[in-house]
Amino acid sequence: MTLPPVDIARISEWLAASGLTALELRGPGCHLRLRQDRGTVTPMEAPSARQVVTSPGIGRFLTTHPLHSTPLAPEGSVVALGQIIALLQIDALLMPVTAPAGSVLAAVLAEPGEIVGYGTPLLELHPIAE
Amino acid sequence: MIEILSDTALATVQDLGRTGALNWGVGTSGAMDPLALAAGNLLLGNAAGDAAIEIQVFPFAVRVHADCAFALTGADCAARMDEQTLLPWWSGMARAGQTLRLGLPVATAWPASRAYLCLAGGIDVPEMLGSRSTQLRGAFGGYAGRALRQGDLLRAGRPGGDVNGFGAVPPALAMPLQQDGLPAIRVLRAAEYDRYTPASHAAFWGEAWRITPQSDRYGYRLAGPSLTPIAPIELRSHGIVPGVIQVPHGGQPIVQMRDAQPSGGYPKIGTIIEADLWRLGQAPIGSRFRFLETDWATALAARDANEAWLAGLGRLANLQRLGAAAA
Amino acid sequence: MSPGVSLLGTTALLFDAPGATDLPTQQRIWSLAREAETWPEVREAVPGMNNMMLVFARAPRNLDALEIRLHEAWAAATPLPLGGRLIELPVVYGGEGGPHMADVTGHTGLGIDDLVALHTAPDYPVFALGSHPGYCYLGGMDPRIATPRRKIPVLSIPGGAVSIGGTQTGVSASAGPSGWNTIGSTAMCFFDPTQHPPALLRPGDTLRFRAERVVR
Repeated sequence: MTLPPVDIARISEWLAASGLTALELRGPGCHLRLRQDRGTVTPMEAPSARQVVTSPGIGRFLTTHPLHSTPLAPEGSVVALGQIIALLQIDALLMPVTAPAGSVLAAVLAEPGEIVGYGTPLLELHPIAE
Repeated sequence: MIEILSDTALATVQDLGRTGALNWGVGTSGAMDPLALAAGNLLLGNAAGDAAIEIQVFPFAVRVHADCAFALTGADCAARMDEQTLLPWWSGMARAGQTLRLGLPVATAWPASRAYLCLAGGIDVPEMLGSRSTQLRGAFGGYAGRALRQGDLLRAGRPGGDVNGFGAVPPALAMPLQQDGLPAIRVLRAAEYDRYTPASHAAFWGEAWRITPQSDRYGYRLAGPSLTPIAPIELRSHGIVPGVIQVPHGGQPIVQMRDAQPSGGYPKIGTIIEADLWRLGQAPIGSRFRFLETDWATALAARDANEAWLAGLGRLANLQRLGAAAA
Repeated sequence: MSPGVSLLGTTALLFDAPGATDLPTQQRIWSLAREAETWPEVREAVPGMNNMMLVFARAPRNLDALEIRLHEAWAAATPLPLGGRLIELPVVYGGEGGPHMADVTGHTGLGIDDLVALHTAPDYPVFALGSHPGYCYLGGMDPRIATPRRKIPVLSIPGGAVSIGGTQTGVSASAGPSGWNTIGSTAMCFFDPTQHPPALLRPGDTLRFRAERVVR
């Protein structure tokens, strides 16, 4: 983790102004977790081979884009690596939930429209071969 | 750098409009949907008022000549980057050699008619009289003072970079406004309101208004009941603004839009509040809506709500971008 | 009679001076505009024909206070003679550049020479700019050559078109639609966005038309 302290301070300020209680940011080899009253940085685990996609943060779990009526990836559909298969709505922002590998979307685990937290299991993926 | 592939006469470079040039006879121009333009810019970390391309005739396509972060907002045009489908109100990376294609606006929970293509750092065209908006009548501003043509090359203010795509919830969903089953647009009475008949007042607020095909960036001609003054009205030329609802002699109102001239002489029955002008700016030709009478306090609250929505989006997008940069 | 103050949505406020349109009233409007431009809630004060539009920098919560200040400033405003330049404009009357000359002579009952004489006689004060970049609203036209606006507007008249609409005359600064009757043309350039100021004319200037040629 190489995030300079000054950036954490800036992120913390914005977080405070945003009215959110917590924020999770992640990228390859890095995971930043901030709460309103304290900022801590913890290293992220290496990506696992599990086929359960968990929530990358706190927000409203959506399986369809708010403008659309059909799901981004219906149950049973084949999804490609990096394909957006669900969304996490944080107020006005929409964050993508992407497929970690080419696979079949076997089941939607979380309730669409509900608020989920970091790590909440969202979607179950099966290998295409199965 | 992007190259326009479509010969779309009507796509233009716009920002939030030109202020301070009215005394030279120069109207404001600017985006028909300023919220969509600002939102696209905020997704990219641009200033809210950076210049973007307003697209209103489809299909529309551009070729990417150099890597650049982009955002697409406004009407959902089932856009594709090469073969990859893009979500509406979304940002991402455009790579050199790729082609971005927008189709006709699709039916969604929010019918809209104009799309905005924002690039990181804004579309790099010179500022003219304080704005990068295209002034079509004056033939200056924007790209060479005219609508975009096939082969035009436009540079991003901040080429390169690397972003993970994320998006925004369209403000029409966050701030819906309807009256009796139709989209509503809030209006304050204007100078000549009291000089119309009571029946005209009742019709103005009570009936649905249809946007006729004779509607463009200059103005929307509406079809509905005829509005009649108590006595003929003759006015001296005076300043007008986008959103003013004029009633020419025929009795069918015209709403002046972003390319409106800065002065006029027709009677004015009302003016759409600035905070709602984007709603009409996106309303498709042929669609119907209602005028909703409002008061000063509500109008300012609507402005504050728009500003708060944009500020919130900007903060969250900054957080997101900073987190991605740190990672 | 008191001036009219009305809203243009949340974008601007319109101030309309009472009485007939004349130059002394316009000079008071210029004075009022100069004063109002210094107010913090005003982005631009834009004179029209004996009226003024105040564009808000940011729409104020307390509108009444601004209205009261506006009325007070009008009561205190004295005519401001701007003392501009006199600019002479060579015009080719009639012919290809004046396609509606026959309509104007027909309506007024004047011969083309009399009409040109009446149109070139006055010094026209520039009251305000508006309509399109560089366009001027002029005062001072002889009412004998007044001609109603056309029933069907012309889709595009070229820049430099000299025309009459009702009791007003003007010169278009760029090509565009117009409901006025075009009686001549000039080659003068009224607007250049790369110059400062971009408009050739400003309120207080005086315009004089000179008949360079009359095509009969």
